[in-house]
Amino acid sequence: MNLTSPFAMAILAIVALSLLGLPVGHAMIGGSILYLFFSGQDMGIAAEQLLNGMYTSYLLLAIPLFVLAAEFMNTGSIMDRLLRFCNAIVGRFRGGLAQVNVVQSIIFASMSGSALADAAGSGKLMQTLMTKDGKYPPAYAAALTSVSSIIGPIMPPSIPLVLYALVSNTSVGYLFLGGVVPALLLGAVQMALIAFTARKRNFPVEAKVPLKDLPRVTREALPALLMPVILLGCLYSGVTTPTEAAAVAAAYALLVSAVLYRSVSMRDVYGALRESSRITVSIGMLIAGALVFNYVITVENIPRTLSTMMQGYQMSPLGFLLAVNLLLLVLGCFLEGTTIILVILPVLLPTAKALGIDPVHFGVVAVMNIMLGLVTPPYGLLLFMMTKIADVPLRDIVREVMPFLWVMIAALATITLFPGLVLFLPRLMGYTG
Amino acid sequence: MHLTSLVAWIRRRAENVVALLLGVMFLAFIAQIIFRYVFNWPVGWSSELSVIAWLYMVLLGSAFWLKEGEEIRFDLVADALGPRARRVVAGVVAVAAVVLFGLSLPATVKYVSFMKVESSSYLKIRLDILYGIYVLFVVAVIVRYAYAAWCALRGDEVADEVDITKKGYGL
Repeated sequence: MNLTSPFAMAILAIVALSLLGLPVGHAMIGGSILYLFFSGQDMGIAAEQLLNGMYTSYLLLAIPLFVLAAEFMNTGSIMDRLLRFCNAIVGRFRGGLAQVNVVQSIIFASMSGSALADAAGSGKLMQTLMTKDGKYPPAYAAALTSVSSIIGPIMPPSIPLVLYALVSNTSVGYLFLGGVVPALLLGAVQMALIAFTARKRNFPVEAKVPLKDLPRVTREALPALLMPVILLGCLYSGVTTPTEAAAVAAAYALLVSAVLYRSVSMRDVYGALRESSRITVSIGMLIAGALVFNYVITVENIPRTLSTMMQGYQMSPLGFLLAVNLLLLVLGCFLEGTTIILVILPVLLPTAKALGIDPVHFGVVAVMNIMLGLVTPPYGLLLFMMTKIADVPLRDIVREVMPFLWVMIAALATITLFPGLVLFLPRLMGYTG
Repeated sequence: MHLTSLVAWIRRRAENVVALLLGVMFLAFIAQIIFRYVFNWPVGWSSELSVIAWLYMVLLGSAFWLKEGEEIRFDLVADALGPRARRVVAGVVAVAAVVLFGLSLPATVKYVSFMKVESSSYLKIRLDILYGIYVLFVVAVIVRYAYAAWCALRGDEVADEVDITKKGYGL
């Protein structure tokens, strides 16, 4: 590649500016303007791409609404009831509270699309519970909270999968279904590792909840447990579009918190709107930048060039998938995940399709991989967040995260090698890919 | 009014407007579903209203509400630098942002005003008015980074400490 070509200069500008701290969305708009300037094109194209792109991507409205649903769930006492329910089920085993952490994440995952929302929402609570009376080492608790929260964006609903649906023109419904088995698999390997460690390190057992209390605890948590059922019901019965399903989920969450648990004030509603807006604006700005930059990538014909090149190498589909996994694991250590989905995946997709890789499988594998990036040192966003929330040195958390990382990479390898694990549920619901 | 308190005031009002827009989007969706199933009367204005709310949330929020540290950004390098080097880097980035966004401003204004020939499908709002928000966004970016460049030049630390749970993220 010619280093003085407008495209090379745009890439250089984007990488340099975002490395030096300009918000990534702004950097992508800026770099694209540079490209337009040097290639002698109308710089109004940046505005046109951004505005028309944002104005026509109706699907993306699901993102603020899913975030809002999770925020409504976080206000009020729903989380307490969920925890009591999880404790009644898995608290009785050795390392019970650690198991509760994972099960709670799996359930919360089916209401929220964001890992950091899970860690920020229940992370502090779990951390306090687990370290009270020196039950668990603080670093272990923090590491576990980080790794369990990455189940969130793989389990439907999922913000990353909505973004992937946008760039790949794949059905959100099928992608969501494709995420279910991998999310459960992640939960399973984490729980297995906990069971193993618990015996070795002699983690405590929680007081047994008598079986006769189980119906009451379940009934109290039931409205919250019903949320995923309602959400998926709306989505797959065809009653609503995915975006409308997100709105229904938010309305349901608000209703449950306000009417059944009577714990929501106007102030809480405004707070939930404000926090959801904050997340929406920051993701939205990145999407805006990616919309502009993707114009540059398309004009330069990068995806096609790569696809032709890869076919020249005679790469097998599996070889390509493994290479993509390696690439994403490395990129995930440096790049923010949303950027990878919006910018890197569209470049790789045509090659994947040309090699006969199913786009739903590809998307779920890529998203799971990117989630692992959140807990991979050195640039694991979730690890940073947990050092602040739990007040534990990053080094100690990293040490405790490593065993989890290895079993999760094994889980990733499994779903990479066996597409059927991802595609089984979508096919059951009529996916023909 | 003092400049910093004016900025804080703008920020709070922007927060109110953006949160309100999300509320509008939420209600528009609920209305859309109710109209379709209860009154058997599919409406189009609601989805248009939601999309407009989304566009305005993002551009208004980014221009007037969020601090730089709350956007999705890579802060590892900048945080690792000493105060002096950080100031230089902040200055360079700010100047680059002013130059790049400034470069595109005339063409942006031209594109947006050209869009007066079209109107939105349901609410019949002229697109140059609707899209004008992007011009406002570009101007705000230029002003914000010009100010940041000036601060870096004068040696003021731009105090922008952000709570880690409020940092921008999409995952």
